Amino acid sequence: MEILIILMPLALGMGALFVFLFLWAVKRGQYDDVETPKYRMLLDETIGPMDPKKGKEI
Amino acid sequence: MLKCAHCDEQALRPIYSAADGEYQFPFCCHGCLTVFELLKEKSLTSYYKIKNASGTFKRRSPVTTSSETFNFLDDERFEATHSYLNYEGQRTMDFYLEGIHCLACLWLIEKLPEYVEGVASAKLDIEKSVVSVVIAHTGKFSRVAQELNQLGYRPHALANSNQAKDLRIQEEKKYLKRLGIAGAAAGNIMIYSFSLYAGADKSVASLFNALTVILAIPVFTYSAWPFYQSAITSIRNKTLSIDIPIALSLLMGFIMGGWNLWHGQEENYFDSLTTLVFLLLLSRYFLKKIQDKGLSLTDLHFFYRNESVQRQSTNGFEEVYSDFLNQGDIIKVHREEFIPADGIVLAGSSLMNNSLLTGESIPVKVDVGAQVFSGTQNLGDELIIQITKVAHETRLGKILKNVEQGWALRSRTVDLTSTVAKYFTLCVVLMSLLLFAILLPEGMEIALTRAMTLLIVTCPCALAISVPLTFHRSLSQASKHGIFIKSDEVFEKLAKVKEIFLDKTGTITLGRLQVINLNSQVPVNNIIYSLEKKSRHPVGRALVEFALEQSAKPLEVTEYLEIPGLGVQGIINGKLYHISRGEIRENGKVIATFQVQDVLRYDSKTIISHFKKLGHKVSIISGDRREVVEQVARETGIDNSYAEISPEEKVKIIKTNDSLMVGDGANDAMALEAASVGIAVSGAMDISLRAADVYLTTPGLVSVEKILILSRETMQVVKRNLILSLCYNSLSVVFVFMGMISPLVAAIIMPASSLTVLISTLLGTKKMRSLWKS
Repeated sequence: MEILIILMPLALGMGALFVFLFLWAVKRGQYDDVETPKYRMLLDETIGPMDPKKGKEI
Repeated sequence: MLKCAHCDEQALRPIYSAADGEYQFPFCCHGCLTVFELLKEKSLTSYYKIKNASGTFKRRSPVTTSSETFNFLDDERFEATHSYLNYEGQRTMDFYLEGIHCLACLWLIEKLPEYVEGVASAKLDIEKSVVSVVIAHTGKFSRVAQELNQLGYRPHALANSNQAKDLRIQEEKKYLKRLGIAGAAAGNIMIYSFSLYAGADKSVASLFNALTVILAIPVFTYSAWPFYQSAITSIRNKTLSIDIPIALSLLMGFIMGGWNLWHGQEENYFDSLTTLVFLLLLSRYFLKKIQDKGLSLTDLHFFYRNESVQRQSTNGFEEVYSDFLNQGDIIKVHREEFIPADGIVLAGSSLMNNSLLTGESIPVKVDVGAQVFSGTQNLGDELIIQITKVAHETRLGKILKNVEQGWALRSRTVDLTSTVAKYFTLCVVLMSLLLFAILLPEGMEIALTRAMTLLIVTCPCALAISVPLTFHRSLSQASKHGIFIKSDEVFEKLAKVKEIFLDKTGTITLGRLQVINLNSQVPVNNIIYSLEKKSRHPVGRALVEFALEQSAKPLEVTEYLEIPGLGVQGIINGKLYHISRGEIRENGKVIATFQVQDVLRYDSKTIISHFKKLGHKVSIISGDRREVVEQVARETGIDNSYAEISPEEKVKIIKTNDSLMVGDGANDAMALEAASVGIAVSGAMDISLRAADVYLTTPGLVSVEKILILSRETMQVVKRNLILSLCYNSLSVVFVFMGMISPLVAAIIMPASSLTVLISTLLGTKKMRSLWKS
């Protein structure tokens, strides 16, 4: 059980790190708008004009 | 059925663009068509590509176009109150946009810098439909607003109520932090508790136990703070809320865990309790998030007066923001513009559309010396008006003030969970006292521990988690379909509604006139179209629309004359034509007669019969003339009708218990506020939104029926969850009395109960699942 001496601080330290990262992200406003980014990422940088052949498929 | 390529509304009579050679898109109206042509011109047709590929997530109504300059946006005084510097020091203004509904909208809006000069960046919050526009030194906000307006997203500049907004954001961030810490601590505690339950060695066990206590400290203090706070508030207000038993249970758990650690015992309930705190915070966070989806009251405040106006100054007329008008100012109001303040006509004669203010469907004629009111629309020629009253002194302002005061005075009704919480708390406290008394002969410590344990394990967590989640689910489904609900209280109130009051104009009817029959000996379509195409009178517009359907062509008109109240006339091919009061005359001889009517929405009758089937008493309440109201009542099968009612009288009629008012416009605002639930149906931005509890972004009564059914079903689920969670609590009580309780048993019962109500919430009811399919 001696291994616990290493593992426990390691586990707690990792936990603390992630809590810290979360608090940092909250502070930076990364959670202010959680809806739009998930759509924004779907848009490509460049989108060509629409293909006329597919126009009728509405 | 063809769907409009732009707004996805059904295109009953599709029109096609002449400029559109390749796509052959159908459009429902000229508004949507214009936007398409504009996008084509700017080679932004990828809009439709994205839209078709991704689908829509909100409904929108067809585009109505208008040409406005928005010059007031560049006014220094306006900029001072509406723009702010972003963190990089650039000038920014937030606009609420009407009509945001799909991924392609996001694409189009965020591309603003590419096709509008001087825009540095544009960022859209799709859920709130709010775009933050950053402009470079050369840019002008008016230019951006014009462009957005042309594309069919009517912009409304939001005032930088920075303090209120910042406060809300800070509050939300704090909540998230509490949530994160509770989640991390609960997870770690669970690991150590698990090894304790599995039977860890004595030396390791005491170390683990100490660790759980340390980890639990921030949860019980920092994360759980809102529960203590709300418990204290409700005790102070001498009410009982669900937070009191929760706070009690948390406090007891914390004391007992600390006490046991001090005495070298491993027993504590921290694993269950910290998880509980996490889940509670999470469910409430979700509910709060979804409620923020709609517009906040402070944002809505700015809509109805966000207009520019022509004011006389030393160098003629100049455009100013309507808020900056003073008593005595002389203003010019063009055709189709709204009057920004009460005043007296100095020059010109015209027709006024009072429907927003009074509910009358027929325009009223005004001449020099006549009084005109803020919020009415000029349908005829331009008017010169001297302002007599501004802001809160106007008739519209008074209505708004009434509405605001009404909201402030509104008492919070005692909701179902609070009622249950009342008896629940009483019951639990009495039982723990009883237990204490029973066990006292066996020793003080045992009695105290068991009594405390009872308080801990009967924490109404399942109930407290399930209620916000149930509301969250219903709210999110509703908002997906364009129904925005300002508070979750509405569900309970709506489920109790007995009497429904419906406004006529715009609610049951379309709110615009249509020609219902035309008898003529000779073809008159071309004549009607040529004469009436310039008229903004509702009858004239109805005639033009009718003529266009019969594919009318314009003819040359000379000596055209529009006489307010007496129709239009002009000479075509040497003959004098006159259209007035349902008759068309050629050189004085009647050649055709027609009738116009504000026609019913196609589904009004069916839905009203559904209301009746649901057991509601339906009444029609309107400021319009008696015969019109009674005819609509007859056609839709409504037994009860109130006609020629002023906004103030409406309030008196409606102030009954469990009433629902459905309406739009300023004339209904006070009634919407007075009813136990008010639903604004217009879909447009006006004062009624501020007064209503629910607002619909799509017109018509379909959504009203849906929200009524949804509310009933939601309350069903809430009640079901209530019973389920009370069952689990009773089980815990039995265990405690039998002395069979331990942290391990609690660690099984508590999550099990939460899971059960969670599943029950997610399943909803059969009706709920089928509600949105049609």
